[in-house]
Amino acid sequence: MNSTLVSRNVFLCAAAILIASCGTATFTKTGSDAAIESLRNFHLAFIDEFAVPGKKFNATAFNAKVNEGNAKFQQAIADEKFTARRPVLVDLKAQFDADAAHLKSKASHGKVTPALASEMKKDVNKIYDHALGR
Amino acid sequence: MPSGGKKKHKKSSRKKSELDSALDQIGDESAAAATKEFQDLLGEAKGDTSELVRQNAEEVERRLVLLKNRKIDKEDFDHFIENQKRDLRVYVDGQPAQAQERAEKLTIQVLEIAAKVAIALI
Repeated sequence: MNSTLVSRNVFLCAAAILIASCGTATFTKTGSDAAIESLRNFHLAFIDEFAVPGKKFNATAFNAKVNEGNAKFQQAIADEKFTARRPVLVDLKAQFDADAAHLKSKASHGKVTPALASEMKKDVNKIYDHALGR
Repeated sequence: MPSGGKKKHKKSSRKKSELDSALDQIGDESAAAATKEFQDLLGEAKGDTSELVRQNAEEVERRLVLLKNRKIDKEDFDHFIENQKRDLRVYVDGQPAQAQERAEKLTIQVLEIAAKVAIALI
Protein backbone atom coordinates (compact mmCIF):
# COMPACT_ATOMS: atom_id res chain seq x y z
CA MET A 1 0.00 0.00 0.00
CA ASN A 2 2.78 2.38 1.11
CA SER A 3 5.01 1.46 -1.83
CA THR A 4 2.11 2.07 -4.23
CA LEU A 5 1.59 5.50 -2.70
CA VAL A 6 5.31 6.33 -2.96
CA SER A 7 5.39 5.16 -6.59
CA ARG A 8 2.37 7.27 -7.40
CA ASN A 9 3.93 10.34 -5.77
CA VAL A 10 7.21 9.81 -7.61
CA PHE A 11 5.29 9.50 -10.88
CA LEU A 12 3.30 12.66 -10.16
CA CYS A 13 6.47 14.58 -9.26
CA ALA A 14 8.20 13.44 -12.46
CA ALA A 15 5.16 14.43 -14.52
CA ALA A 16 5.03 17.83 -12.81
CA ILE A 17 8.75 18.45 -13.46
CA LEU A 18 8.30 17.43 -17.10
CA ILE A 19 5.32 19.75 -17.60
CA ALA A 20 7.10 22.61 -15.83
CA SER A 21 10.26 22.19 -17.93
CA CYS A 22 8.19 22.16 -21.14
CA GLY A 23 6.57 25.38 -20.03
CA THR A 24 9.98 26.94 -19.32
CA ALA A 25 11.29 25.81 -22.73
CA THR A 26 8.30 27.33 -24.50
CA PHE A 27 8.71 30.54 -22.52
CA THR A 28 12.45 30.68 -23.30
CA LYS A 29 11.81 29.92 -26.99
CA THR A 30 9.34 32.77 -27.09
CA GLY A 31 11.99 35.04 -25.57
CA SER A 32 14.55 33.85 -28.10
CA ASP A 33 12.12 34.48 -30.98
CA ALA A 34 11.42 37.95 -29.61
CA ALA A 35 15.17 38.67 -29.50
CA ILE A 36 15.49 37.66 -33.17
CA GLU A 37 12.49 39.84 -34.11
CA SER A 38 14.09 42.75 -32.26
CA LEU A 39 17.34 42.24 -34.24
CA ARG A 40 15.31 42.07 -37.47
CA ASN A 41 13.63 45.41 -36.67
CA PHE A 42 16.98 47.02 -35.91
CA HIS A 43 18.52 45.60 -39.13
CA LEU A 44 15.61 46.86 -41.30
CA ALA A 45 15.67 50.31 -39.66
CA PHE A 46 19.43 50.47 -40.29
CA ILE A 47 18.83 49.88 -44.03
CA ASP A 48 15.99 52.42 -44.07
CA GLU A 49 18.24 55.02 -42.47
CA PHE A 50 21.28 54.63 -44.71
CA ALA A 51 20.09 53.14 -48.03
CA VAL A 52 18.51 56.38 -49.19
CA PRO A 53 19.28 57.56 -52.73
CA GLY A 54 20.85 61.03 -52.79
CA LYS A 55 21.26 61.25 -49.00
CA LYS A 56 24.62 62.63 -47.86
CA PHE A 57 26.62 59.92 -46.11
CA ASN A 58 27.21 60.71 -42.43
CA ALA A 59 30.16 58.52 -41.39
CA THR A 60 29.85 59.37 -37.68
CA ALA A 61 26.16 58.44 -37.53
CA PHE A 62 26.81 55.34 -39.63
CA ASN A 63 29.66 54.08 -37.44
CA ALA A 64 27.65 54.78 -34.27
CA LYS A 65 24.74 52.71 -35.62
CA VAL A 66 27.06 49.87 -36.67
CA ASN A 67 28.60 49.85 -33.18
CA GLU A 68 25.12 49.79 -31.65
CA GLY A 69 24.22 46.85 -33.94
CA ASN A 70 27.38 44.95 -33.06
CA ALA A 71 26.62 45.35 -29.35
CA LYS A 72 23.02 44.17 -29.85
CA PHE A 73 24.07 41.06 -31.79
CA GLN A 74 26.81 40.18 -29.31
CA GLN A 75 24.41 40.61 -26.40
CA ALA A 76 21.81 38.41 -28.14
CA ILE A 77 24.43 35.70 -28.78
CA ALA A 78 25.59 35.82 -25.13
CA ASP A 79 22.01 35.76 -23.80
CA GLU A 80 20.80 32.91 -26.05
CA LYS A 81 19.70 29.99 -23.87
CA PHE A 82 19.41 27.49 -26.73
CA THR A 83 23.00 26.67 -27.60
CA ALA A 84 21.81 25.20 -30.93
CA ARG A 85 20.49 28.62 -31.87
CA ARG A 86 23.74 30.49 -31.31
CA PRO A 87 25.17 29.60 -34.77
CA VAL A 88 21.96 31.02 -36.29
CA LEU A 89 22.55 34.31 -34.45
CA VAL A 90 26.16 34.26 -35.63
CA ASP A 91 24.83 33.87 -39.22
CA LEU A 92 22.50 36.84 -38.67
CA LYS A 93 25.42 38.90 -37.39
CA ALA A 94 27.42 37.92 -40.50
CA GLN A 95 24.50 39.19 -42.60
CA PHE A 96 24.49 42.48 -40.66
CA ASP A 97 28.28 42.85 -41.09
CA ALA A 98 28.02 42.18 -44.85
CA ASP A 99 25.12 44.62 -45.25
CA ALA A 100 26.94 47.31 -43.27
CA ALA A 101 30.08 46.92 -45.40
CA HIS A 102 28.05 47.01 -48.63
CA LEU A 103 26.00 50.03 -47.54
CA LYS A 104 29.11 51.92 -46.46
CA SER A 105 30.70 51.33 -49.85
CA LYS A 106 27.55 52.35 -51.76
CA ALA A 107 26.40 55.28 -49.61
CA SER A 108 29.83 56.86 -49.24
CA HIS A 109 30.15 56.91 -53.05
CA GLY A 110 26.59 58.15 -53.59
CA LYS A 111 25.68 54.95 -55.46
CA VAL A 112 22.51 53.97 -53.61
CA THR A 113 19.60 53.18 -55.95
CA PRO A 114 15.91 52.87 -54.93
CA ALA A 115 16.04 49.15 -55.75
CA LEU A 116 18.99 48.59 -53.38
CA ALA A 117 17.06 49.22 -50.15
CA SER A 118 14.07 47.10 -51.17
CA GLU A 119 16.28 44.20 -52.33
CA MET A 120 18.40 44.35 -49.17
CA LYS A 121 15.26 44.30 -47.01
CA LYS A 122 13.91 41.29 -48.91
CA ASP A 123 17.10 39.37 -48.11
CA VAL A 124 17.01 40.48 -44.47
CA ASN A 125 13.41 39.33 -44.03
CA LYS A 126 14.19 36.01 -45.73
CA ILE A 127 17.19 35.13 -43.56
CA TYR A 128 15.36 36.12 -40.34
CA ASP A 129 12.32 34.05 -41.40
CA HIS A 130 14.62 31.07 -41.97
CA ALA A 131 16.29 31.72 -38.60
CA LEU A 132 12.85 31.50 -36.99
CA GLY A 133 12.10 28.28 -38.89
CA ARG A 134 9.43 29.84 -41.11
CA MET B 1 14.30 17.94 -50.98
CA PRO B 2 15.21 18.27 -54.66
CA SER B 3 13.29 16.02 -57.00
CA GLY B 4 16.24 13.79 -57.88
CA GLY B 5 15.80 14.43 -61.59
CA LYS B 6 12.37 12.83 -61.86
CA LYS B 7 10.55 16.01 -62.73
CA LYS B 8 11.40 17.49 -66.12
CA HIS B 9 11.13 21.22 -66.56
CA LYS B 10 9.18 22.55 -69.51
CA LYS B 11 11.80 24.98 -70.77
CA SER B 12 11.22 24.28 -74.47
CA SER B 13 7.48 24.89 -74.31
CA ARG B 14 7.41 27.93 -72.01
CA LYS B 15 7.31 31.48 -73.28
CA LYS B 16 10.67 33.22 -73.44
CA SER B 17 11.28 35.27 -70.32
CA GLU B 18 12.82 38.74 -70.26
CA LEU B 19 16.00 37.11 -69.01
CA ASP B 20 16.04 34.49 -71.81
CA SER B 21 15.79 37.26 -74.40
CA ALA B 22 18.64 39.17 -72.76
CA LEU B 23 20.79 36.05 -72.52
CA ASP B 24 20.17 35.22 -76.18
CA GLN B 25 21.66 38.57 -77.11
CA ILE B 26 25.02 37.81 -75.49
CA GLY B 27 27.42 37.84 -78.43
CA ASP B 28 30.56 36.82 -76.56
CA GLU B 29 31.31 33.22 -77.63
CA SER B 30 33.42 32.52 -74.55
CA ALA B 31 30.37 33.30 -72.37
CA ALA B 32 28.01 31.24 -74.54
CA ALA B 33 28.84 27.92 -72.83
CA ALA B 34 28.31 29.36 -69.35
CA THR B 35 25.07 31.00 -70.50
CA LYS B 36 23.74 27.74 -71.95
CA GLU B 37 24.72 25.83 -68.79
CA PHE B 38 23.08 28.53 -66.69
CA GLN B 39 19.81 28.47 -68.67
CA ASP B 40 19.64 24.67 -68.40
CA LEU B 41 20.34 24.66 -64.66
CA LEU B 42 17.96 27.55 -64.01
CA GLY B 43 15.17 25.78 -65.90
CA GLU B 44 15.81 22.60 -63.93
CA ALA B 45 15.81 24.52 -60.62
CA LYS B 46 12.58 26.35 -61.49
CA GLY B 47 10.87 23.00 -62.05
CA ASP B 48 12.18 21.37 -58.88
CA THR B 49 9.87 20.04 -56.19
CA SER B 50 11.60 22.01 -53.42
CA GLU B 51 10.03 25.44 -52.88
CA LEU B 52 13.33 26.86 -51.65
CA VAL B 53 15.14 25.72 -54.82
CA ARG B 54 12.42 27.22 -57.02
CA GLN B 55 12.38 30.48 -55.04
CA ASN B 56 16.15 30.80 -55.32
CA ALA B 57 15.99 30.30 -59.09
CA GLU B 58 13.24 32.89 -59.46
CA GLU B 59 15.11 35.32 -57.23
CA VAL B 60 18.36 35.06 -59.17
CA GLU B 61 16.46 35.49 -62.45
CA ARG B 62 14.69 38.60 -61.12
CA ARG B 63 17.97 40.10 -59.96
CA LEU B 64 19.68 39.43 -63.28
CA VAL B 65 16.84 41.38 -64.92
CA LEU B 66 17.33 44.22 -62.38
CA LEU B 67 21.03 44.22 -63.27
CA LYS B 68 20.33 44.18 -67.01
CA ASN B 69 17.92 47.11 -66.55
CA ARG B 70 20.52 48.96 -64.41
CA LYS B 71 18.27 49.11 -61.36
CA ILE B 72 21.17 47.60 -59.41
CA ASP B 73 24.86 47.42 -60.31
CA LYS B 74 27.28 44.47 -60.39
CA GLU B 75 28.48 45.25 -56.85
CA ASP B 76 24.89 45.01 -55.58
CA PHE B 77 24.29 41.85 -57.59
CA ASP B 78 27.41 40.18 -56.12
CA HIS B 79 26.28 41.19 -52.62
CA PHE B 80 22.88 39.56 -53.17
CA ILE B 81 24.49 36.42 -54.59
CA GLU B 82 26.65 36.13 -51.46
CA ASN B 83 23.54 36.64 -49.27
CA GLN B 84 21.69 33.87 -51.11
CA LYS B 85 24.69 31.55 -50.85
CA ARG B 86 24.95 32.17 -47.09
CA ASP B 87 21.25 31.47 -46.67
CA LEU B 88 21.22 28.35 -48.90
CA ARG B 89 24.33 26.76 -47.40
CA VAL B 90 22.22 25.92 -44.35
CA TYR B 91 19.59 24.29 -46.59
CA VAL B 92 22.16 22.20 -48.53
CA ASP B 93 23.92 21.05 -45.36
CA GLY B 94 20.56 19.99 -43.94
CA GLN B 95 19.78 17.65 -46.87
CA PRO B 96 20.35 13.89 -46.63
CA ALA B 97 23.88 12.99 -47.82
CA GLN B 98 22.65 11.40 -51.07
CA ALA B 99 20.63 14.53 -51.98
CA GLN B 100 23.29 17.10 -51.11
CA GLU B 101 25.12 17.00 -54.46
CA ARG B 102 21.94 17.71 -56.43
CA ALA B 103 20.75 20.33 -53.92
CA GLU B 104 24.10 22.10 -54.23
CA LYS B 105 23.96 21.94 -58.04
CA LEU B 106 20.50 23.53 -58.17
CA THR B 107 21.23 26.24 -55.61
CA ILE B 108 24.85 27.22 -54.94
CA GLN B 109 26.06 26.27 -58.44
CA VAL B 110 23.22 28.23 -60.07
CA LEU B 111 24.34 31.29 -58.09
CA GLU B 112 28.01 30.81 -58.99
CA ILE B 113 27.29 30.54 -62.72
CA ALA B 114 24.87 33.49 -62.46
CA ALA B 115 27.76 35.65 -61.24
CA LYS B 116 29.73 34.73 -64.40
CA VAL B 117 26.73 35.27 -66.69
CA ALA B 118 26.12 38.67 -65.06
CA ILE B 119 29.48 39.92 -66.35
CA ALA B 120 28.45 39.12 -69.94
CA LEU B 121 25.02 40.61 -69.42
CA ILE B 122 26.17 44.15 -68.53
